[in-house]
Amino acid sequence: MPAVQMDAVSKTYRRRGRPAQKVLNGLDLLVDDGGVHGFLGPNGSGKTTTIRVLLGLVRPDPGGSIRLLDQPVPDGLPHVIGVVGALVETPLFFPGFTGRLNLRLLAETAGVSPARVEECLEIVDLTDRADDRFKGYSLGMKQRLGIAAALLKAPRLLILDEPSNGLDPAGIRDVRELIRRLGRDGHTTVLLSSHLLAEIQQVCDTVTIVARGTRVAAGAVSDVLAGRSDGEVRVRVPDAGMAASILSAAGFAVSPPEMPDGRTLFVHGVTAPGEITRALAAQHTYVEELTPLTADLETAFLALTGEQA
Amino acid sequence: MSTAVDGSLVPMTDAPGAAGRGSLFRAEVHRLRSRRFLHVLLALAVVGWLGATALALNHYGVPTASDRAVAQQTMRDVVAQNEVGRQQCLDDPSRPSGTPDDEVCGPRLTLDQLNENDFLPHQPFDFARTGTAGALGFAAASAVLAFLIGATWIGAEWSTRSLVALLFWVPRRTTVMGKKLGVLALAATLLGILAQAGWLATAGILRAVDSAGGRLPSGFWGHLLATEGRAVLLTVFAALLGFGLTNLIRNTGAALGIAFVYFAVLETLIRVVRSSWQPWLLSENAIGLVSPGGTTVYVFDGLGPGGFDQPRQIVISNLQAGVVLGLITAVIVGAGVYLFQRRDLV
Repeated sequence: MPAVQMDAVSKTYRRRGRPAQKVLNGLDLLVDDGGVHGFLGPNGSGKTTTIRVLLGLVRPDPGGSIRLLDQPVPDGLPHVIGVVGALVETPLFFPGFTGRLNLRLLAETAGVSPARVEECLEIVDLTDRADDRFKGYSLGMKQRLGIAAALLKAPRLLILDEPSNGLDPAGIRDVRELIRRLGRDGHTTVLLSSHLLAEIQQVCDTVTIVARGTRVAAGAVSDVLAGRSDGEVRVRVPDAGMAASILSAAGFAVSPPEMPDGRTLFVHGVTAPGEITRALAAQHTYVEELTPLTADLETAFLALTGEQA
Repeated sequence: MSTAVDGSLVPMTDAPGAAGRGSLFRAEVHRLRSRRFLHVLLALAVVGWLGATALALNHYGVPTASDRAVAQQTMRDVVAQNEVGRQQCLDDPSRPSGTPDDEVCGPRLTLDQLNENDFLPHQPFDFARTGTAGALGFAAASAVLAFLIGATWIGAEWSTRSLVALLFWVPRRTTVMGKKLGVLALAATLLGILAQAGWLATAGILRAVDSAGGRLPSGFWGHLLATEGRAVLLTVFAALLGFGLTNLIRNTGAALGIAFVYFAVLETLIRVVRSSWQPWLLSENAIGLVSPGGTTVYVFDGLGPGGFDQPRQIVISNLQAGVVLGLITAVIVGAGVYLFQRRDLV
């Protein structure tokens, strides 16, 4: 059973005096149960709207279907909301209440024990500041309290929208570690929306990339990266010019030597890098280095979404 | 960040989720009574009550025999002066003939028409006379407080957007709104009761200290308690109106501004320009709801027995005022809830 399944979901905002704005355009999203699923897209691509639609805050256009933990959204939300935790953009709490009181009020709403409140405060390292007012918290502390609130229900599905916002480097590392642990605990599925490519690459098992409200790629992170790699191989030899001639004659697509050392060249469309070694060795040219080049997520992301670097 | 105390992120409570049978109503009560603004308002109300009681204690007093003698003498002087003036009027040759004397120069004033208390430097407190007026005053104060509480409560929810966060826990929007309204109505009822209890306490103190004694007329308590009951109802209406208006426009400042403009400007304009609309004004209906027997509105619309010189008198009964206020409240609250149900919360 997928944790999240959206099929052909669209959303158009209509505001008086302004042209209609189609934010989601037949979006498909599939998040399998377990692990950490990244939700990646440039600003304005519809990530936060998607999460709001999932949580019933925004009504999608007619057509399309949405299921959360096998329940239709929004009608079935009340049946599963007890096991869905969410942090959407900035945490929303009463500024005049303490961190602990804010969490206790939420816990009381859902029948979560006060002990769990203390557990969650401890998880996000806020126990010492729990009796301070929320408005006195730093941005990072507010974010951590938001994560604690999302964890209160010990959710089966945890939806985090830009959870690293406002955190210092240590905080970011801790949040990523926490998300990784949650994804591996066998209990929680994490849907992580982020614009931080490194975060997605480091933390997520699977990813969906969206652009202009449409899914442009989805799958295991490694598969998405492999799909964007063109089989490029960097070859280091004593004489790049001679090696290029040999490889071109053998039918390889070779870029002209570009490195100033005259010893490095790039070969494209290589499915079996060993063939390069064989072809060069046959002409008594011996390889010093042979490195298949894989695309990183940033490259894949920019290519898929058409963004300029 | 660290793991939980047992080294795991999964709670010690039952899987799959830690959530159990919660109580949104209880949480909302907790949320409301934790609000600092509410504490400040109630503290100010208590200070106001103490101040009003102190002023009343200063205003009233038990008269001495000397005070009473002076008062009696003043009353006799007033009667005598009135008689001199009346006689001058009767002796005036230019007064219209054929018209009864009392109609032209007024009836003769007698001592028994005057109340000695009105001529004393410090009147004794007369609960029988002031009981209803005090209840009305405390009703007005509690209604204003309740309006502020209702408006600021939902206004704070909108400004902090914690209302949206609450939907991550209780996705049924009508349930969320319904519980909030229920808690507010309960709180306003308590506030109304406390305000009226405050008046009874003030009256009790004044009776103990500054009363000239005397029995209360029969039926007094039934009459007063009925008035106080309607005052509590007005407090509830005010709280719901404040809540509904703010929920409709999602901004406390704007809601309070609209309320101010309505009461200070629009109602005055209507009284001047569209006198016939007066029976529908909130303030008239508020008075009509609480005052014993309702209230009478004087409408200068030319339809009275003497044209524009003599107004029409329209009586707004307690029931009629209650129905009008109830309908207006229901429409404003209902519109806010409907929009909340339909809106995209972005």
